[in-house]
Amino acid sequence: MSDGTKRLRNLLLTLGVGAIVAVALALVGGTGGAKLNDSLALFAIWGIAAVSLNLINGTTGILSLGHHGFMLVGGYVTALLILPEDARQRISSSARSEMTPFTLGLSVEGWFDALGLHVLTTPETLWVRFLIALFFGGLVAMAFGLIVGIPSLRLKGDYLAIVTFGFGEIIRLTASTSLFKPFTNGALGYSGVPSDFGKSLWWTFALLALTLFVMTKLKYSSHGRALQAIREDEIAAEAMGIGLARHKVMAFALSAFFAGVAGGLWVSYLSAARLDFFLFFLTFFFLVAISVGGTGSYTGVLLGVAVVVFVQQYGDPLERTYSLATWFGLIGVLILAAGIGAGLYRRDRRMRPVWHPLVLGLIGIGAATLLVAIVGQNWAMFDGTFQAFGMRRILLAVLLIVIMAVRPEGIMGRAEFSWAWLLRERKDQPSDEERAQDAWLSGSEMDKEKERARARSDDPLPRSLTEEESPGAHPLLERGTKPKSDGGRRRKRGDDEGSS
Amino acid sequence: MAMLSVRHLNKSFGGLQAITNLSFDVEPGEIVSVIGPNGAGKTTLFNLITGVYTPSSGDVLLEDRSVVGKRPNEIVDLGIARTFQNLRLFTNLSVLDNVLIPQHHKLKLPWWKSVLRTPGYRRAEAEMHEKGLEKLAFFGPRLMSFRLHQPVYVLSYANRRRTEMARAMATEAKVLLLDEPSAGMNPKETKEITQIIRRMRDEAGYTILLVEHKMGLVGEISDRVVVLDYGRKIAEGSYEQVVNDPTVLEAYLGKRAADQDEGLDGPGGGAAGSDASAGDAGEERAPQ
Repeated sequence: MSDGTKRLRNLLLTLGVGAIVAVALALVGGTGGAKLNDSLALFAIWGIAAVSLNLINGTTGILSLGHHGFMLVGGYVTALLILPEDARQRISSSARSEMTPFTLGLSVEGWFDALGLHVLTTPETLWVRFLIALFFGGLVAMAFGLIVGIPSLRLKGDYLAIVTFGFGEIIRLTASTSLFKPFTNGALGYSGVPSDFGKSLWWTFALLALTLFVMTKLKYSSHGRALQAIREDEIAAEAMGIGLARHKVMAFALSAFFAGVAGGLWVSYLSAARLDFFLFFLTFFFLVAISVGGTGSYTGVLLGVAVVVFVQQYGDPLERTYSLATWFGLIGVLILAAGIGAGLYRRDRRMRPVWHPLVLGLIGIGAATLLVAIVGQNWAMFDGTFQAFGMRRILLAVLLIVIMAVRPEGIMGRAEFSWAWLLRERKDQPSDEERAQDAWLSGSEMDKEKERARARSDDPLPRSLTEEESPGAHPLLERGTKPKSDGGRRRKRGDDEGSS
Repeated sequence: MAMLSVRHLNKSFGGLQAITNLSFDVEPGEIVSVIGPNGAGKTTLFNLITGVYTPSSGDVLLEDRSVVGKRPNEIVDLGIARTFQNLRLFTNLSVLDNVLIPQHHKLKLPWWKSVLRTPGYRRAEAEMHEKGLEKLAFFGPRLMSFRLHQPVYVLSYANRRRTEMARAMATEAKVLLLDEPSAGMNPKETKEITQIIRRMRDEAGYTILLVEHKMGLVGEISDRVVVLDYGRKIAEGSYEQVVNDPTVLEAYLGKRAADQDEGLDGPGGGAAGSDASAGDAGEERAPQ
């Protein structure tokens, strides 16, 4: 197949899958119930935010912890611009209102009125106004991104991470000071933001698709390669002509823009804008999603967001009240699972002995705890109940620890889902002809010379010398030993299964 | 007009004077080697020319324009590119990406055009692709075909060196600074890289400034040799002049002047190169 037909095929496949997703969303929106609908909308909104954060964290390799700040800016601007008239009335008539007539007059509807575009002020055209508000929200967030980005450019690594975290918190805290109170209405915030968009699967998924489109196209463009070069090695990137400042600011600004858009959808989803909707936990969730899914991989990040949203939305059984015996049993199950997991991990990594005394000890303690919980359900020490608040976040934190220990690069690593990958089209594998040529290039002449040398000299060269000079001639020979190569590991596991 | 000239260059790190009053010129189309014992200031010199460090005093001129005080990426724009002694490739990216990235600085399109893949961007991308392949083709077919799409971390050390040279060439700079291009290569590969460096000058017209420890390579391709010791230039001239200079013999080759042609392989090749150097020694002894 030529490249052109492949591209056409991939486009058709993508459109086909897109159509299937659209039909599925339509079905869910119609019949799936409010909870499923909300969860999917939340997935899309957080997806936009996490994917945009990944532009900085994954593609450019700068750890940024201030994403919730950008979302806050975008969210408040969008909310203010789209707030309906009755909500404004409520705020202005309230004694505790912090807003001035000027700030209350900031609305897209008002602008259209002033311009005489009355067609665009009707309830039916609310979506036009929302789109404009969202765009403005993104732009203002982008401006803040520039404000954060420019001074941060002199810093690297951990220092920069701390500065971005500081900026995120500064944005949140100054939003409630008297300087910004007229815009944010202090701690009260706004309520009555139309939720037609943040809860609409069409809107959220369309914007997610747009974000993904921009981010992936960017990643595989010349600009994206420049950003990845910065991630790989800043000094080398600069020595190859890439302006670090320009590209980092570009990444920050673009990321902040989409964070602002996500913030706008977020306030619409919650139908209110309040400062405590934009705490650091948002950034934490996105970081978990990025780390779990794969740093630098946008499809991986979506996978991670799916995990996070699932735990967050469907993890409430974890936080209900249970009897102490149940908790005790649960702890036993966890210890047991940890022991078995450790054993499987050791087998996978070919560590011997697989069932190390510590592993066996863990399994023993887990089994014993579980047994006690089952047998002693009615014992006095198990009287009472316990409710574990915050269990969902603990679960996410534990998930993060496990991923970091077992697969630090995340589920997808840096790889992106692609049709070529699914259809096993690999360009980096040599054909037989190429392999033969490669072997010839990397040392047949030397071999001949050595043969001659060996014939001449009485004691032959040590074997290690003759075998030495073609390390890496065959990529396949190296794969098993390279920890970063996934293919080798996967294959090895397959072999294990085959032999057992 | 000299292509590159270094004028009264000084650099000190605190109390350590790394480069002292260093001056030399590189004419267009010349291959000039900088040699000297470890710690003589060769890599510092490269870092000063490419803008990684700012000189304490003195000047570096590219075609009579000063490059001092410019950022490294601006200096690449002006026409000086380099390779690194201990390889700084973009290891998780493919070989092809590694030769496309250095061409990015010539792409004068805004980011949204590359996101939307406008016809202008597509043209530029195709051009970059072609140029990148052209540079890789300098090193024979071994980096072409399937290797193009392999991440750099699976490549052998010698192939990484080649990729890094191709990457420096891809910047389209006029002057290339090669920091130990043959470190970690066996004699056959060293011979090949020697020819390639010469072809880079003859066919592609680069002016080359070279730091190298393998005297065989230096003697074979250098038009001129500059010898540094403790940051000072102690000799300059043709290879034959320099290696017979008593100051050089004393400072650099010590008393064993008779060994001068045996390919002094200094221990500066870095950890990764040391195995290969051991191999080199073995290979060289074997046929005798």
